Amino acid sequence: MRRPRFPGPAVAVALLVVAVALFCALFSWLIVPDATEQDLTLGITYPGPGHPLGTDDLGRDVLQLLIAGARTAVLGALAVSAGSMLIGNLTGLPAGYLGGWADGLAMRWADLMLSVPPLLVAIVVAGVMGGGYGLAIIVLIVLFSPTDARVVRGAVLEQRGRPYVEAARLQNLPAWRIMSRHVWPNIVPVALANTFLNFAYALVSLASLSFLGLGVPPGSPDWGRTLADNKSQLFANPWASVAPGLAIIITAAAVNVVGDWLQERAEERMLAR
Amino acid sequence: MNPEPPPVTTGPRRAIGGAFLLRRLGGTLVVLLLLSIGVFGLLYLAPGSVEQTLLGTRPASPETVAAIRAQYHLDDPVAVQYLRWLGGALTGDLGTSIRTGIPVTEAIGSRLPLTLELTAYGTLLAVLAGVPLGILGAVRRGRAADRISVTAAVAGMSAPPFAVGLVLLMVFAVYNPWFPVYGPGEGLGGRIAHLTLPAIALATGAAGLLVRFTRAALIRQLDQDYVVFARARGLPSRLVLWYALRNSLIPILTAAGLIVTSTLAGTVLVEVTFALPGLGSLLVDSVTFKDVPVVQALALLLTLLISVVNLLVDVGYTLADPRIRLGASR
Amino acid sequence: MTENRHGVLVENLRVGLAGGRTLLSEVGFAVEPGRSLAIVGESGSGKSLAVRAMLGLLPPGLAASGDVDLAGVRVSADPKALRALRGTTVSLLMQDPFTLLNPLRRIGRQIADGLPARLRTDAEVARRLAEVGLPAEVAERRPFELSGGMRQRAGLACALSGDPGILVADEPTTALDVTTQREVLTLIRRIQRDRAMAFVLITHDLRVAFSLCDDVLVLYAGRVMETGPAAAVHRAPAHPYTRALLAAEPPLDRRLTVVPAVPGGVPAHDDVLGRCSFADRCALVTDACLDGRPEPLPAGIGRSSACVRSGELPGMKAAPPAAAAEDTARTEGSALLEVRGLTRTFPGASRPALAGVDLRIAPGEAVGVVGESGSGKTTLARCVVGLETPDGGEITLGGQRYRALSALPRDARGRVLRTAQMVFQDPYSSLNPVRSVGAVLAEALRAAGRPAGSAEVAELLGLVGLKASVAGRRPAGMSGGERQRVAIARAVAGRPALLICDESVSALDVTVQAQILDLLAGLRESLSMALLFITHDLAVVRQVTDRVYVLSEGRCREEGPTGRVLDAPADPYTRALLASVPDADGRWLG
Repeated sequence: MRRPRFPGPAVAVALLVVAVALFCALFSWLIVPDATEQDLTLGITYPGPGHPLGTDDLGRDVLQLLIAGARTAVLGALAVSAGSMLIGNLTGLPAGYLGGWADGLAMRWADLMLSVPPLLVAIVVAGVMGGGYGLAIIVLIVLFSPTDARVVRGAVLEQRGRPYVEAARLQNLPAWRIMSRHVWPNIVPVALANTFLNFAYALVSLASLSFLGLGVPPGSPDWGRTLADNKSQLFANPWASVAPGLAIIITAAAVNVVGDWLQERAEERMLAR
Repeated sequence: MNPEPPPVTTGPRRAIGGAFLLRRLGGTLVVLLLLSIGVFGLLYLAPGSVEQTLLGTRPASPETVAAIRAQYHLDDPVAVQYLRWLGGALTGDLGTSIRTGIPVTEAIGSRLPLTLELTAYGTLLAVLAGVPLGILGAVRRGRAADRISVTAAVAGMSAPPFAVGLVLLMVFAVYNPWFPVYGPGEGLGGRIAHLTLPAIALATGAAGLLVRFTRAALIRQLDQDYVVFARARGLPSRLVLWYALRNSLIPILTAAGLIVTSTLAGTVLVEVTFALPGLGSLLVDSVTFKDVPVVQALALLLTLLISVVNLLVDVGYTLADPRIRLGASR
Repeated sequence: MTENRHGVLVENLRVGLAGGRTLLSEVGFAVEPGRSLAIVGESGSGKSLAVRAMLGLLPPGLAASGDVDLAGVRVSADPKALRALRGTTVSLLMQDPFTLLNPLRRIGRQIADGLPARLRTDAEVARRLAEVGLPAEVAERRPFELSGGMRQRAGLACALSGDPGILVADEPTTALDVTTQREVLTLIRRIQRDRAMAFVLITHDLRVAFSLCDDVLVLYAGRVMETGPAAAVHRAPAHPYTRALLAAEPPLDRRLTVVPAVPGGVPAHDDVLGRCSFADRCALVTDACLDGRPEPLPAGIGRSSACVRSGELPGMKAAPPAAAAEDTARTEGSALLEVRGLTRTFPGASRPALAGVDLRIAPGEAVGVVGESGSGKTTLARCVVGLETPDGGEITLGGQRYRALSALPRDARGRVLRTAQMVFQDPYSSLNPVRSVGAVLAEALRAAGRPAGSAEVAELLGLVGLKASVAGRRPAGMSGGERQRVAIARAVAGRPALLICDESVSALDVTVQAQILDLLAGLRESLSMALLFITHDLAVVRQVTDRVYVLSEGRCREEGPTGRVLDAPADPYTRALLASVPDADGRWLG
C-alpha cells in the first residue's frame, strides 16, 4: 500500500498558478480598479517603462487588462464546471445506482449529446440565440453535464457491485441512504477530479466563445475577448493579444495538472482497498 | 460466477460481427435523425420572429413577410416544414443564404476543400507527433522522457487553437517572418506554406490528447500479466512491445474518433485566427449574421462528417478485435 | 555446490523497496536438474518476490541483492546474461490463466514466438500442443475461446517453447477449479520428469507442495523457517510454524472439535527484526526466541530449521486434535428455510445458473452447499437474501414466502433480513473504505432495531474476538482476518436465525481460515444460529456442517449428512470432486 502522496514540484507550481488566477478573478476590482481607462493620445505602444506589456490601440495597459480579464474568464469557467458537476451528480448517482429505464434514457441522452463536440454546438446555439456571457455559461453547463453524469454513473456502477454496498442493502436501508451515505463518499474523489478537468475545458471553451464574439461584449476585459480585439494589432504590439492567450494556456494547463493529480490520487484510493 | 465459454467454439462466427456493425449503423442513423431535428429547430431558436430571421436585413413590409411565409411554407405544420426541409437536404437543396443570396450548397462547396485540407493536415501532424510521443512516454515510464511528453501533452491539451495560433504568428511571422501571416495561399507550395501554421495550431490540442490516450493505453497493456509472462519466457523485447501495442490499438482507435471531432471544432477557431476562407469562418460569419439556412446546412454537414468518422472507428476496432468480431462475451 | 551446474542456486537473497523497507532476506535454496522444490508460504511471506527476483522480473520500485546462479551462470551480477537465459534456460508459468496469454494472438503463434527459429512450423506447434494434452486445432484459437484449464495448458506449452532446463511455476493452479487443478498438476509433474527439468513451485497449499515436489522450503515474513525433503517435513515438521500450518489445514476424513489455529497474522519482515519472526504466535516461545534471530540449524538429513527448539520438537508431539462426533442431521420439524424449484438464467448465458434447486434448513442446523465455479451455489445464496431475483421457484424463510425479495413490502423485507444475514467472500471489499468500523456496526445494530451505543458496539466486537478500540478504525490497514471478523460482527448484529457464509474463508490464509472457522463454530453455538455455508472446499465443509448439498451446473447432485456424503458418496460427480482434493502424500497425483 502506498503512502499518501504529496504534490511534486509540477503540481505545486500548478496549484500556485491556480491560486493566483483565482485571486485575480476575485479581487481584480481592488488591484486594478481602472483597467479599462482609455488613453487615446497614447494609443498602442510596445512594452516599455510604466507598461510592462505595452498598451492596446485604446491606450489601455495590457497587464491591467490581463488581471481584470481573469474575472469573467475564470469565474465563468468555475460556474460551468460547478454547475455541470451538480447536474452530473444529481443524475449520475441515481441513474447508476437504481438502473432501469430512466438510466437507459439518461444514458442515451448523454450518448446523443456526446456525439458532437460541445464547442461546435455551443458556437451554433449561442450564436443563433444572439450570444452573451450568461447564455454561453448556461449552454456550456448543459453541454458538459452529460460527461459528468457519465463519469459519476461509471464510478457508481463500479461501487454498486461491491459487497459493502450489498451488505448495506442487506440492512434494508432505503436506497437514498445507501446512495448518499455509502456510495457517494466513495466517488467524491472521482467527481472532484473530473470537475477540475472540466474547469480547464470550460476555461478554454468560454475563451473560445468570447474570442468569436459570442461571450462578453466587445471591449470588455476578458482574456478571449481582449485577444480577439487586439488580434489586428499583431505587428504594432503582439503582446496585446498574445499575453491573454498565454494566460489562458498557462491557467488551463495548471488546472489540468491539478486535475490529473487529483485523478491519480482518486484512482489510487479506489485501488487501495 | 463467470460462465466459461465452451471449450472450442464453432459455427457461424462472421455473422456476429456483421450484426454488430448493422446495429452500429442503425444507431448512427437514429442519432443523425435526432440531431437533424435539433438542427431544424435552430430556425425557431433565434430571437425574434421566424419571418424577421429569414428576412435578415431586408425591410419587413407585409408583402415581403407574406413572400417569405410562402417561400418557406411557414403556414404548414412544423412537422411538415421539417420533413420538407429534410427532404430538401437529402436531395442537396439546402436553400439560399440570407446574407449573400447565393445557394447554400454553392457557398459550402467553394469553401469545403480548404477546410478538409486543413483538417487532414492537422490530423496528420497530430498523429505523427502524438502517437510516437505517447509510446515513448509509456516505454520510458517515470523517466525524464516520459515527464517531458506528459508535460507537453498537458500544455497542448490546455491550449485553445486560437491562442496557439497567435503565439505561432508572433514567433514565426512577426519576429521571424518565415511564414505568411494570413490567407489561404496560391498553388500547392503556397497552400502548404499558408496552411502550416494553422495546421500546427490545430494539431496541438489533438496531439496532446493522443499522447495521453496512447500512453495510458500502452501502460495499461504493459502492466498486464501477459507482458510479464512474455518477458519471463524470453521473447525478444521488440516482440513484447508489439504484443502490447497490438492490444492498445483498440483504445487508441477509439481516441481517434475524438481527435477528428475535436479537430473539426478547432478549424472554426483556426480559420478565424488566420483569416482562412473555409467552412469554419463561414460558420462564424453566418452565426453572427443569423444566416440560419447556412448555419443549418453547416451543422448538418459537420454532424454527418462526425457520425461517419465515428462509424469508421467502430468498423476499425471491429476489425482489430476478434473478441468483438467473433462475439465473445468479454 | 559445484554439482549444481545446471540447476538453480540462490544464496543470501534480499528484496526490498529501493532505499527503504526490506521485504525478504537471507533466502537461499538449490534445485538440481530433475529435482523439484516447493516454496510454501502464506500471503506476505515473500514467496513470489523470491522467484521474481531470481528471474529479474521484480516490479518497478523493488530491488534485489544476493547471488543467483542459473545453469552455472551468475546472473545476479549480469542482468543482460539473465535476459538471454530467459525462455531457453529458465521459464516461468504464472497464476492466472485468464490473463497470462496475449488476448489477441492465436495460441499457435504464441507458442511459435518462443520456439527456436528453425522449429517454427505447424507440425512443431502441434507437437508442443500434444505434449500438454491439447488437440492441434487449438493452435488456431485465441485465448478467449478456451476454458481456464485449456488456457493454463497452452500457457505451459508457451513457457516450455524455448526448452528451458529450469521451470518456475507461481501458483499455477490457484485460479482453477479442483478437478482441473488435479489434471494440470499431474501434467506439470509428468512433463517435469520427462524433461528432467529443475522445477520450482510457489504455492500457499502445503498439500499441493508435498504431493508434487521432492523438497519444500517454508517461508514466513520474508524468512526461511524450514527446508527439507517433502516426505520428511510432512512426517515430522522441524519448525513450529510448519507444524501450525499443517495442523490448520482441515482434514477431509473427519470432523475436529476445533481446527487448531495459531492467533494473529503474518507480521511485516521489518517489524520482527532481531528475533524469531514467528515468536509472537508460537506456543513454544522462550526468551531465547526473542533474544536474537535463530540461525538455520541442521535438523536431520538434508533438513534445516530456524527454530532454537527444533531439537525438542519430535519429543513434543502434540496430541492429535480431537475428532468430533458428527451430528446426525436434524431434518424433522418445521424448516427455517425452505427453497423449492429455484431457477435462474443470467441474460446471455448458455445454460441456467440454477436449474431447479431444492434446499431445506432446520432451525439451528448447519448446512453446506459445495460445488465448483459455475455450479450455482453463490447464486442460490444471493437469491435467498434478495441480492438476485430468481426466475422461478419459491423461498420460504422464517414463515415469509417469496420469490423476489425486493417485491415484498419494506417491513416484510426487513423481517426476512433480520432472520437471515450474509458474510461475503472478499474481506477487502466487503467493508466501506470511508466508514469506521464503529459506524458500520452501529448502523447494523440500528437496522436490526437494537440499541446502538458504543457499549453495544464494543460487545459486538468482543463477540468476534476484536478489541473495543477497533471501533474507531477504518478498514484500511486492517488485516484480512480482522476485516472478516468485522463483516461477521455486522452480519450477526441483529442475532439472525440464519447466517449465510458465501465462500467466507476461501480468500483467507490457512492459519486465519482456521481462526475464522473456529469463530463461526463458536458463534453458531452461542447464538444458536443455523448456518448456510457455501464453499468449494470439501474439507472445510466437513468441519462446519451437519448436512451437505453437492451442486453442479445448477442442479443438486447429492444431498445428505456431511459425513455420509464425504465418506460414501453416491454420485459419480461427488466422487470425482473428492478425488480432486489434494492429498499430502505423493500418491494423490497417481
